[in-house]
Amino acid sequence: MREVSAGYGTMRVLHSLNFTVEAGERLGLVGLNGHGKTTLISTIVGMTGWQDGSISFLGNEIGGRRTHGVGRNTPKIVRSGIAIAPQGDAIFPGLSVAENLESGAYTQGAWRQRKKRREAGLDIFPPLASRLKQSAGTLSGGERRMVSVGRALMADAKLYLVDEPSLGLAPKISTALVAALCEIDLGDGAMVIAEQNLPLLTGRCDRILGMHAGELKEDVGEALGDLPPSAELS
Amino acid sequence: MIELLVSALVLASMYGLVAIGISLTWSSIGMLNLAQGFVFTAGGYGAYEFTQWMGKHQHVHTGNALMVGVVLVGMLTAALAGLLVGLLAFLPLHDRVNFPVRGLIATLAISVIGTQLFIILFGPQNKPLPQLFGVKRMHIGSHGIAYGQVGTIIVATLVMAIVTFWMRGSRRGLQMRAMMMNPMGANMVGVSVRTTGMVALAISGALSGLASVMLAQTFFVSPRSGVAPLTVGLIISLAGGLGSIPGTVAASVLLGLAEAATARYTKQSLVPFVQFGLVIAILAFRPRGLGGVLEDVRE
Repeated sequence: MREVSAGYGTMRVLHSLNFTVEAGERLGLVGLNGHGKTTLISTIVGMTGWQDGSISFLGNEIGGRRTHGVGRNTPKIVRSGIAIAPQGDAIFPGLSVAENLESGAYTQGAWRQRKKRREAGLDIFPPLASRLKQSAGTLSGGERRMVSVGRALMADAKLYLVDEPSLGLAPKISTALVAALCEIDLGDGAMVIAEQNLPLLTGRCDRILGMHAGELKEDVGEALGDLPPSAELS
Repeated sequence: MIELLVSALVLASMYGLVAIGISLTWSSIGMLNLAQGFVFTAGGYGAYEFTQWMGKHQHVHTGNALMVGVVLVGMLTAALAGLLVGLLAFLPLHDRVNFPVRGLIATLAISVIGTQLFIILFGPQNKPLPQLFGVKRMHIGSHGIAYGQVGTIIVATLVMAIVTFWMRGSRRGLQMRAMMMNPMGANMVGVSVRTTGMVALAISGALSGLASVMLAQTFFVSPRSGVAPLTVGLIISLAGGLGSIPGTVAASVLLGLAEAATARYTKQSLVPFVQFGLVIAILAFRPRGLGGVLEDVRE
């Protein structure tokens, strides 16, 4: 990602970001609310109001300058091998859990192996196994998040973007969820996890970057400001 | 009694085909397609032109192959008309501000222009289509039922069943249902709104084309033959619950029965009153319609 800026309308949220995610890497993205984590993830899949700068994925340019057509390129970018589990969740409430998961297997290859991929997903999130036929709208918050993340994992992707997996969940559940995420064998795929809660990621990610006011900081403490990171856990 | 039931089911098949199309596009891409009547009429004229051409150049006037051809050409023309509507009203507008209203106005414009175009091209006279299922009647007891009526019911049921299974079983069907539930989420799993929307428009066009050919078994093809199916199709898709095929079918049967019974026991002119009254009653008790699949209907 080189010199990437993005925003909505007249507001500029990201300021000339430069960073690279290596194959097989698990990158943590830590920052407080409103400092651009979600915008960064949305930018990669072309869902911000506008964007500028170069984003290169597996040698292909997926960024560039864009001032309109919000989300128009998203399906193409996603199909080129990026799976996203958005903030909150964007599940399909009227579809069953099984159908929600299957909808993530978009590419031809993944669709043919969808049964196998679903089994693999259920190994990661066992609570969903007994609820496959249930309508996803009736699930609890934690289960919905599992469906959302599980759906992203169904894709045959080289880059998985997970936005705030812990948001709004009880500490115990979010810890389990993030731990499960960090144990998945990615192969040569990479994963970016955006998270407010630094201790959740510490020791589990290969690398952690801080985010402050739309800029990336190598020093995570600076990104979180004076707030002691542990204060959020208690 | 049987005659009443049969004519109710014939009406229900026709309304059902149109309403499912309207319901599919409305719920998946959020566009209320007022040009569905134009699409419907286009299917009828396509089938008519095909019959004329076959008669003139191939000297084919009857036969099963011609009948199958008439149905297929009707569906194909209507599907193309559906794509044309998509090209003009959906693709340029769908990610702009206030798409629902703009789409509504654009499709209304297509509908008005389309009707005039049909008058210019084909004249205001009614055009007949061949009797697809022959003119014979079958007899159940003392009642005579036209083959055409039975054929219409069977074909429509079959096609609706196919669409239902396709929506449930196929990848494209899953994508379409995903788009109904959460267009943003669908975008993020790689479902292209543009492609899926065009597919939805083509399918609802084909369904309308089939209904158009079926309607021409009892009525004729005329520049305005799509107006009534559009109106009834709209209220049925609302009463059935947007996006729900079983709900739409149930609503079509209800309204078909109401229409047949009203026409038989009172006056034909009372039919719209009864139909709209029924739909208001349904929506008063079930605001999301009979099927009610959408948790929150798209604004």
